[in-house]
Amino acid sequence: MAHSDLLVARGLCKSYEGRRVVDGLDLHCEAGTVLGLLGPNGAGKTTTLRMLYGFIEPEAGEILYDGKPFAAHRSECKRMIGVCAQEDTLDHDFSVERNLRVYATYFQPRIADIDKRVKHLLDLFGLTPHAHQSPEQLSGGFKRRLMIARSLVHEPRILFLDEPTTGLDPAARVEVWQLVSTLRAQGLAIILTTHYMDEAERLSDECLILSRGKAVAQGAPRALLGTILGEHVAVVPAAQIEAEALERWARAELGAAPARVLEDWQVPLTAAQLVAFSAQFPNARFTVRDPTLEDLFLQLSAGDETAALRPT
Amino acid sequence: MTWNPYLGDLADWRTRAVFVRNTRVYLRNWRTAFLPPAIEPIVSFLAFGLGLGAYVGSVQYKGSAVGYASYMAPGLLAQTVFATPFFEALYSSYVRMFYQKTWDGLLATQVELRHIVWGEITWASARGVLNATVVACVLGGLNLLGVVHLQWHWLPLLPLVGFVAGWSFAAFALIFTAIVPSIDHMNYPVFLVGVPLGLISNTYFPLPVHNPVLAALVQCNPIYHLSESFRSLLLRGEPDMHLVWLLLTSSVFLLVCATLAQRLVRKRVLGE
Repeated sequence: MAHSDLLVARGLCKSYEGRRVVDGLDLHCEAGTVLGLLGPNGAGKTTTLRMLYGFIEPEAGEILYDGKPFAAHRSECKRMIGVCAQEDTLDHDFSVERNLRVYATYFQPRIADIDKRVKHLLDLFGLTPHAHQSPEQLSGGFKRRLMIARSLVHEPRILFLDEPTTGLDPAARVEVWQLVSTLRAQGLAIILTTHYMDEAERLSDECLILSRGKAVAQGAPRALLGTILGEHVAVVPAAQIEAEALERWARAELGAAPARVLEDWQVPLTAAQLVAFSAQFPNARFTVRDPTLEDLFLQLSAGDETAALRPT
Repeated sequence: MTWNPYLGDLADWRTRAVFVRNTRVYLRNWRTAFLPPAIEPIVSFLAFGLGLGAYVGSVQYKGSAVGYASYMAPGLLAQTVFATPFFEALYSSYVRMFYQKTWDGLLATQVELRHIVWGEITWASARGVLNATVVACVLGGLNLLGVVHLQWHWLPLLPLVGFVAGWSFAAFALIFTAIVPSIDHMNYPVFLVGVPLGLISNTYFPLPVHNPVLAALVQCNPIYHLSESFRSLLLRGEPDMHLVWLLLTSSVFLLVCATLAQRLVRKRVLGE
């Protein structure tokens, strides 16, 4: 555990109806950094997040906030965290401004100057012109801004963002990214889950990739790609190559079948594998690009993640 | 923390925060929230107290003949004390839990589910006091007009007595809130539980109980003791043993129902 780790979780486990959803998960997050929690549907991201912010109890393992065990200092730890859930949980009975004020009453010790804090958040999130409107009157992007602003009203040190840009248009997404970047610069530790790989790549200092409840990789996004996928991705039009031959070669040489996206095969390769690939399929025409987290995500979703992690 | 682990949370600031949140919403909509409790007893009173009462004439109450309108008036108050928390904890709590996701928002704060449950129960009971106060004012007005003959000086106290009973009715309703699959299924607790309990409670008519099983059931029914204790205070001007039974049955009812509601709500919301 690094000295500045605000959140440390060790050996987290959770099962539902006899099925292990999270299995011995370790993670940590430092102040002023963003930890991206990634993985295909059913990987255990939301369950992990819910255990971390106390919505559900882990069966095993421990969670520490600023060195304090969550189980023993639950209220004190919850005072440190802010949660922006995936679903709209805004209080539609109150105005935008009132949402912030009322939400602040759910925390103790109270914020010393709530008027100043609410004004600051309304300004920071561009909500001042909408302060007296109902959340129902806001666009999707502004609702999301209000959700994030509300989760910060009590000045937490750790922020959980569960798919903060799902359903937003590109401009609103960029605005949320800007806000996340600002909050990180202010020293918040942020735990982010997202399905958008470009978002995870841009925002995360470190990514934790989950598959079937287990951490299959952790590290800085670029380092992860280099380690797991290699330096290149060959994009091969399906018409250029016989599917069976490609799959056979990929399984033998790479340990996993390549991903198929519409009419293209996407084959992650190291430099040496790229040479071998060219030699194996000399007549195939293909392009080569840098790998992205999306390639890694597709690789894991293919269901052969253990093979994908075999050193190449 | 008391011997019942849930009761310790009753006085917690987080329970108060949930209660205050619901109060704020009520105060925001007070004009519309105020209308039903003011209109409904007047309509019921006109229809049953005066309309039906004209045919019934008088009924026997503890050896004396009492006009039906006066007999029914305490029952009307008791019915409000029962129905308001019951429906508030049934429908409004369900809407806050399922549709509005208000509880999910609260659970992301220092507020825990057990505080939400106590906050909802206490709020529903307080809502019963508010509505009962409006009904008491209406009855006070009818008393002034000479339509009913009540020991009116007891009226201000009764909504507060109803607060204790309202707690148990709200906790009882929250059990169903936790288990009904959808809001359409609320008809089951309303018509299979709420309405029959209201019927065997002497609210609108004296119940001739000859069957010993039914008699025992009636004795365990807090609504029965509620309407009878109100009747004794408003018609005779003195408390009787029903008041003691009301506090006793309500306390037992509250303890059992609140404990069960906590467990069932936890299972529904947290899946535990």
